[in-house]
Amino acid sequence: MDNLEKARMQEQFDNSRADKYPLTEDKINYIGKREVRRIDGYDKASGAAKYTLDISLPGMLYGRFLTSPYPHAKILSMDTSQAESYPGVRAVLRYDDPELPAEADLGGHEPSSVPPLPPIAYFQGQETGAFVVADTEEIAENALKLIQVQWEVRPFVLDPEEAAQPGAPLANPEASPDGNIEQQSTYYEKFGDIEKGLAEADRIIDFRFSQGLNTWIGPERPCGIFRWNGESPELWVKQQRPHICKRSVSTWFGGIPMNKIEIHCPYQGASFGGWSQMPWNMGGHFCSAIVSRRLGRPIKWIFSRREDFYGGQMDEGVYYFKVGFKNNGLITAIQARAIVTNQNLPVFGIVTHFFENTRIPHIYAKTETAKVNKGPNVPVRCEQVPNATCFTLAFNHVAEALGMDPVRIALLNDGAEGYDMQWLNEHKQKMGFPLRDSLQECITRGKQAIGWDAKWHAPGTRRLPNGKMHGLGFTWTHEWDDSGGTGEIAMYVERNDGTVTILGCRADCGQNGETAYCQIAADELGFRLEDVHFRNQIDAGFFTMTPDTSTNLVINGFTTRNAARALKHRILEVATGPRGKTQLTEFPPAFPGKTPEELDIKDSVIFEKANPANRLTMADLVGPSGAQGPLNSVAGEPVLSGKWGINYPLRHTPPIFEYAWQVQRGTFVVGTRLRLCRQAHFMEVEVDTETGEVDIIHMITVNDVGKVVNWDGAEGQQYGGAYMGIGRGRTEEVIYDKKSGVMLNGNLLNYKIPTVLDVGPIDTILVETGMGYGPNGMIGIGEDVATVVPALIAPAVFNAIGQWADEFPLTPARVLKLLEK
Amino acid sequence: MLKLDNNLTTDSEIISFIVNGEPQKLRVEPQWTLQYVLQELLGLTGTKAFCTEGACGGCAVILDGRAILSCLTLAIECDRANIETIEGIAKAKHPLIEAYIKHSCMQCGYCTPGFIVTAKALLDKNPHPAENEIKEALAGNLCRCGTYPQHIKAIQEAACFLSGGAHG
Repeated sequence: MDNLEKARMQEQFDNSRADKYPLTEDKINYIGKREVRRIDGYDKASGAAKYTLDISLPGMLYGRFLTSPYPHAKILSMDTSQAESYPGVRAVLRYDDPELPAEADLGGHEPSSVPPLPPIAYFQGQETGAFVVADTEEIAENALKLIQVQWEVRPFVLDPEEAAQPGAPLANPEASPDGNIEQQSTYYEKFGDIEKGLAEADRIIDFRFSQGLNTWIGPERPCGIFRWNGESPELWVKQQRPHICKRSVSTWFGGIPMNKIEIHCPYQGASFGGWSQMPWNMGGHFCSAIVSRRLGRPIKWIFSRREDFYGGQMDEGVYYFKVGFKNNGLITAIQARAIVTNQNLPVFGIVTHFFENTRIPHIYAKTETAKVNKGPNVPVRCEQVPNATCFTLAFNHVAEALGMDPVRIALLNDGAEGYDMQWLNEHKQKMGFPLRDSLQECITRGKQAIGWDAKWHAPGTRRLPNGKMHGLGFTWTHEWDDSGGTGEIAMYVERNDGTVTILGCRADCGQNGETAYCQIAADELGFRLEDVHFRNQIDAGFFTMTPDTSTNLVINGFTTRNAARALKHRILEVATGPRGKTQLTEFPPAFPGKTPEELDIKDSVIFEKANPANRLTMADLVGPSGAQGPLNSVAGEPVLSGKWGINYPLRHTPPIFEYAWQVQRGTFVVGTRLRLCRQAHFMEVEVDTETGEVDIIHMITVNDVGKVVNWDGAEGQQYGGAYMGIGRGRTEEVIYDKKSGVMLNGNLLNYKIPTVLDVGPIDTILVETGMGYGPNGMIGIGEDVATVVPALIAPAVFNAIGQWADEFPLTPARVLKLLEK
Repeated sequence: MLKLDNNLTTDSEIISFIVNGEPQKLRVEPQWTLQYVLQELLGLTGTKAFCTEGACGGCAVILDGRAILSCLTLAIECDRANIETIEGIAKAKHPLIEAYIKHSCMQCGYCTPGFIVTAKALLDKNPHPAENEIKEALAGNLCRCGTYPQHIKAIQEAACFLSGGAHG
């Protein structure tokens, strides 16, 4: 990388300004082009795509875990003799095995320290006590039923507010002996002076709501394969953060050098944070590593479908709001408190979006965390759900109290960090962004698409000819893709055909990011798109941001761009520089007497700008690999005769390889980066007041993504996020039996995710204001829609029936309760 | 029940069937599902087990012309059956494959083969399905990534191609 590119790259580590060196429009062929063929398309359509669960190795065995039948219980004794003698069982690893350490780093969002095979279960269904390894999964499962356990059954608690009461059963007396509220985890958000804000209000409203537990449910069950190659571990991971897996493994068994560990990251059967953020998600690998070493065989460990339902999204809890506002619609104060459950990461706030996106000057919230006897809760597309839900409900409650259009309330309060749009515009200008009104643009297009002005009506006033009540709902917030992270990417030019391979180990969870990065690279290089390929599944180093910690496009976009710019420069240097001298002859430059600045690349062909007829394909520049022939030279270099009279062209170009990186720090910390891009969503419903069914007959999702790279990918996140958001808002809830603490619906028959018939048309609109922090003003979209849409059903149903939902998801039974039926 | 080699017992039976045009003769346990046999014995990993209990369509294959759920079908029931999996559909270059790629009908891709198999069975019987007929046919296929809107476009385009039109 030359010094100029390096300096520019490092300049961009300052993440709080517009892209200073965007690719010029005349160079853009693929960024933003429609119908770009996705690079994973054939694999996935043809059934050829291999997921970890599909992979089979010679001699491979299968591992399954014993799970607790009780929500809180300790193993007093365990008899595994029958399981051990069951035909086809090769080993049973027990919690009291001497090789098991008390704790190990077993993954999660951050380095962890947890028991690999715990003897105590804190939720029904927890993997506890035993790991059976057998010839088949079926045999392992049968053997698990033969394990006899004497349990000490402990009291349990499921509800966050019950858990907070004095004298409540302790959900985890080992970790929290003094009570279920984790005092050290209580999270405060304070902006301005809340008492002042309430005092300034013309009116104050209160509301409360509760959110049930929902979860991720990846189609591919949690699984992994572990194999020892001598002293070197080799893993196949169903994980969206392969670099975290490798880091964990390096800490095991007294330490394993990173350069002896090989990670494979095959296609991922969906991942929305969730499992990949769970503590203990490397427990299966750890137990497999021990047994695999004893048996000398690889082990695939697998969860049952039901086991994938334990653990969930961080928004389960109870929320209380007090909102002060002026009669003109300006909000003066947001005061909130909440109790949420089993947070395995710090709480990310419940009112942060009010600070980030509005001119509301006075904001305060206190969020407590209660331990309950359910699985761990982690970001599931994503940790911003509580924020987005609170945002949706507060704005719409204010609109209703004033009898105003909620769209009007949004525009009135739009701003940032307590200041109005004028202040925000001044900062946009300072940071080098265009002065666009993102929310206004999103709203204008969304309203038009759904026919808002013609359809909007007072709550509970429009009964349709089919007898159902009609309702409209609206919500908004900012667009995000921006927490901390590091991206590393390398690119090299292949011999023989001169194509470019991008190396950056990351999980393909389906967002089509790899195609988007190829588009960016192709445009930067001047290559044809088909000449650039992203190999993300192999561990060649260069771990780049995967779909993890909310960050992809902004970081990887810069990383890709920087690497491609450096590689292009390197290609042109090679094309103009001498290529060496051997004992037989010397090899002059491909473009003698030219400088890199006099050349350019288009459609994968190098050419002289002043004389485009002077051109050379990449294949001819780099030449063949290995024995170097037989190919004909077109580059003018000496051609030697081989001993059979075949012309052997020798190129002697050096390997052409470059790399780049991007660092993004702390942008999730409030106040470190202004939010500029907005999103707005509109929902039209029909409510059957006899059955409580809510038909979502039309949805509009509008996202300002700054600049679109890959239309299919971005729109896919819009309608895909809408489906997931609607599922969460309307049907998805993991139900536990209050008497036994046992999960009741850990299957896809009774945990209802939407089907193609369950939602009406979803229209997607992408706005391009160029106000994203990524290259050329782009910003990612993957988390946003699924996170913002869940609570949108509440204002839509309110508009239909005039009653506010106070329990989510808003199932038909809850709608009937609102209707007092 | 006596355990034999290769995880078989004395209860196992030999079945013969056609898979993607190729005759197969296998010894299977009576409780083995067709999905398990396709995946583990024949290496046809495109047939996915997602829900494992008939709720998701991820394991759909075409058995004697009908789309069925291979996770709910015992392999021993398939003796002398003619089975078509996603691999066979792809090998035959069915226009659904290219239409699914063009319309980006996949995200994680785990459920995609099940959708295509279901769509193929639909088009075999109904060459010109209306939108509501496509939705009805796909109602048993779950996609966690929410790719549903694109499937309808792709199936309509493949139908057009099969009846002599071009990929749009």
